[in-house]
Amino acid sequence: MREARLWLIAIPILLWTLLPIYHIFLFSISTKDSAFSGALWPAKPTLHNFGTVFRQEHFYLHDFWHQIWNSVWIACATGVLTLVVATTAAFAISRLKVKGGRVVMNAALFTYFIPAAFLAVPMYKAMGTYGLLNNRWSLVLAMVTLASPYAIWVLKQASDRLPWELDEAARIDGATPLQLFHLVYLPLMMPSLVAIGTYALLLAWNEYLYAFLLLSNNIPLAVGLGHFLASDDSPWELLMATALIYAVPPAAIYYAFRRYMVGGLTAGAVKT
Amino acid sequence: MAAIAIPHPPPAAPRRRLSSWQTWGVIMLMPYILVFLVFVLYPVTYGLWLARHPQSYRTLFEDPVFFRTVVNTIVFLLVAVNLKFLLALFLSGFFVHERRWIRWLSVIFIIPWAVPAIPTIFSIRFMLNPEWGIVNSLIFRLTGADGPNWLNDPTLALSMAMLVHIWKALPFWTLILMAGRLAIPREQYEAASVDGATAWQKFKYVTWPSIRTLYLTSTLLSMIWTLGDFNSVYLLTGGGPADLTHVLATLGIRYIRLDQVDQAMTTIVVALPFVLPLVYFMMKRLSVDE
Amino acid sequence: MATVAFREVHKSFGATKVLHGISLDIAEGEFVVLVGPSGCGKSTLLRMLAGLEDIGGGQIAIDGRVVNDVDSKDRDIAMVFQSYALYPHMTVRDNMGFSLKLRKEKQNLIDQRVANAAKILNLEPYLARYPRELSGGQRQRVAMGRAIVRDPKVFLFDEPLSNLDAKLRVAMRAEIKALHQRLKTTTVYVTHDQIEAMTMADRIAVMRDGRIEQLGEPLELYDRPANLFVAQFIGSPAMNVFDGTIRNGSVEALGSRWPTAVRGAEGQQVKYGVRPEHLEPAASGIAAQIIVVEPMGAETELVVKIADATLTVMTRGRSSAGPGERIFLAPQASHAHLFDAATGLRIQPP
Repeated sequence: MREARLWLIAIPILLWTLLPIYHIFLFSISTKDSAFSGALWPAKPTLHNFGTVFRQEHFYLHDFWHQIWNSVWIACATGVLTLVVATTAAFAISRLKVKGGRVVMNAALFTYFIPAAFLAVPMYKAMGTYGLLNNRWSLVLAMVTLASPYAIWVLKQASDRLPWELDEAARIDGATPLQLFHLVYLPLMMPSLVAIGTYALLLAWNEYLYAFLLLSNNIPLAVGLGHFLASDDSPWELLMATALIYAVPPAAIYYAFRRYMVGGLTAGAVKT
Repeated sequence: MAAIAIPHPPPAAPRRRLSSWQTWGVIMLMPYILVFLVFVLYPVTYGLWLARHPQSYRTLFEDPVFFRTVVNTIVFLLVAVNLKFLLALFLSGFFVHERRWIRWLSVIFIIPWAVPAIPTIFSIRFMLNPEWGIVNSLIFRLTGADGPNWLNDPTLALSMAMLVHIWKALPFWTLILMAGRLAIPREQYEAASVDGATAWQKFKYVTWPSIRTLYLTSTLLSMIWTLGDFNSVYLLTGGGPADLTHVLATLGIRYIRLDQVDQAMTTIVVALPFVLPLVYFMMKRLSVDE
Repeated sequence: MATVAFREVHKSFGATKVLHGISLDIAEGEFVVLVGPSGCGKSTLLRMLAGLEDIGGGQIAIDGRVVNDVDSKDRDIAMVFQSYALYPHMTVRDNMGFSLKLRKEKQNLIDQRVANAAKILNLEPYLARYPRELSGGQRQRVAMGRAIVRDPKVFLFDEPLSNLDAKLRVAMRAEIKALHQRLKTTTVYVTHDQIEAMTMADRIAVMRDGRIEQLGEPLELYDRPANLFVAQFIGSPAMNVFDGTIRNGSVEALGSRWPTAVRGAEGQQVKYGVRPEHLEPAASGIAAQIIVVEPMGAETELVVKIADATLTVMTRGRSSAGPGERIFLAPQASHAHLFDAATGLRIQPP
């Protein structure tokens, strides 16, 4: 009885969650004709669409590989830079107890709470002033700006949990701040660093708004996908095939590092 | 072994020996300070300065799209966020059941949050296509009648945008509330069972008092973030039909596309009296445990 | 080996003064224990010596050199923490050799020193293990090994045994003492446990509220406590203390006359103190009623009532007495401690 009630909740959840995902998959293995027939399974499933995408055999796909490369480049650069910025800041605030650390922490939290689309407008204007528009760095730096507040907050929470005596022992052992950082702090923070690196990487890979504002040529795949909407007779089946290719890496990375991610995300949340 | 007493000990020297730690602290804080100054403080200040002309506000208020946008935004925040949290509250109660298959289901359930927005929102957009979309095909097959023109009716289109938002954000908040529920000591439920509490009474007297603060804080935080949810509306309806489904986030970007950055900034400034108290409240909450 | 000197050392945390001018000289090779209840400032004093806490005022000197402005790493000290503070990501070997590695010593010297320390501490089989794979006692020994390897001028111990269970604590106590006798390194040891202080120290500094109440050898503190606080802090079970008045060369208290060697003024208000083992039952004397009997094998502790006061009596061997029975106590004048009722200071017999 109780078990049946649980299943009664589970089935709608499953349908609700998977339907849009399945729909992408359905389109991507359908021929153009069967895609628009409204069928739940194509008459002749085909991988032809993927071939077309990989060979860049369509107007919208001319830059496919280049766009993928841009997405990879931007995501990796964001991940690395965010790690550098956030780890050093969290270390300085949490372990070196630097004066003014609290102010910086509050500044970061403030940034964290600004709605992303609101910050996009002034950011766009400022990037113009800096002459960075249409430069991949503008998106990387914007994403680092968006990712690092949360990163610092999570890393600070994690490093506050490291025993303070370790730092004192290291100081007595003769460690300089830099030695403490790379010989003691970084190895102990590894799980959180994996989580934060992944978080920033995914954030950058998935971003659409900033990407399409800041980059109009030399675009990442997300913006490339958006271009499909330019006309009404776009090749939806190709769009969905490309979208699937675009969606799989972040999902795979997320699931690979899930045990780090979930712990880090919810640990901070419950405290509030 | 008498101590060598110095009558008036000299005042302590300034913290010279800590200086290298402080110096390194400042150096290691520098990268983020730079990021903040260059990419937050300067842009925001510059943006506020751009929005200084009263004329911009007059133009904005006279824009027929604006009023509709404000109403849409308020509806979006109140309906979508609260519906999302009621669902999250309910589902978090479902997912805390200890079953192997429920753990697997929770892994699947997280997909909408783990995948990027564009593919799934486009997918939903095609599902809702009135002519060949799978939704209307099913409606036709089941009832023989044509389904509604989902994205061409402002009310329906905005509802669908809210649905997209909920679809995407629900897993995250369910996870958060789940963590809140799991933090409640099991003994409290066992004690309640011994006292003869029903499921509803357990929720009312054990669960809710424990997660109420988390629930309210999360709701507020989600409202702030939802205000910045550009994708759900833009990628589904593009603000249409006839600019009737814009929210503040998409309206601001629309002005940028029209090359009216001042106007875009003005749109955001108009929302600040609502946003800043929420941000202030959230910051107070989070710095309590520092 | 080195001397350590504290001169008028002050410290405040905000408006709270935690150390009120501590002066203390420690000789070469001496084992000094700072003991006192929590919040007395003993740990703060140790941490200031270690360079982990700023010195608010006054001076601290190691080997005659004032170290107020010297960084921890340049003070040539080693410290053992209550939580051991072992680096979880390093093996026992790397933990012990870490300080030498930071000083860029040659690898074969590091290996040799680590091997030597491991031998002293019986850690040889564990060198390749990680701290999480060790028991509490082994971790404690690694922490000591890390200190030994450096061959520092001064060893600092901050409540090193508090995280161990009672049995292990006794064993480690003996190990630390044996280690000190072997290495003869000047040692400052902080604890709240007076038994640790008594058993290990060359000299004990009893601290309370940021002041040293008394400094001396363990038995000196036990036999001649300078004030009521020391009298009741040192010794277990604690000294019996009650109010009395000097009359005709003895003390009138609890309706009886208690002997004393002190020649005080007639009618002076005093606190009369006598240790439980000096209250052995006798054939006659002060009458007391037994409330609880606690046999411990080698000795028996009796909780007795005299007038409205509860006293502890320690007798050697077994006692056949049961609760409710009356016994007689015959304290000796030479074992009685008298303290001024107003100041709490010891009144010294002539």
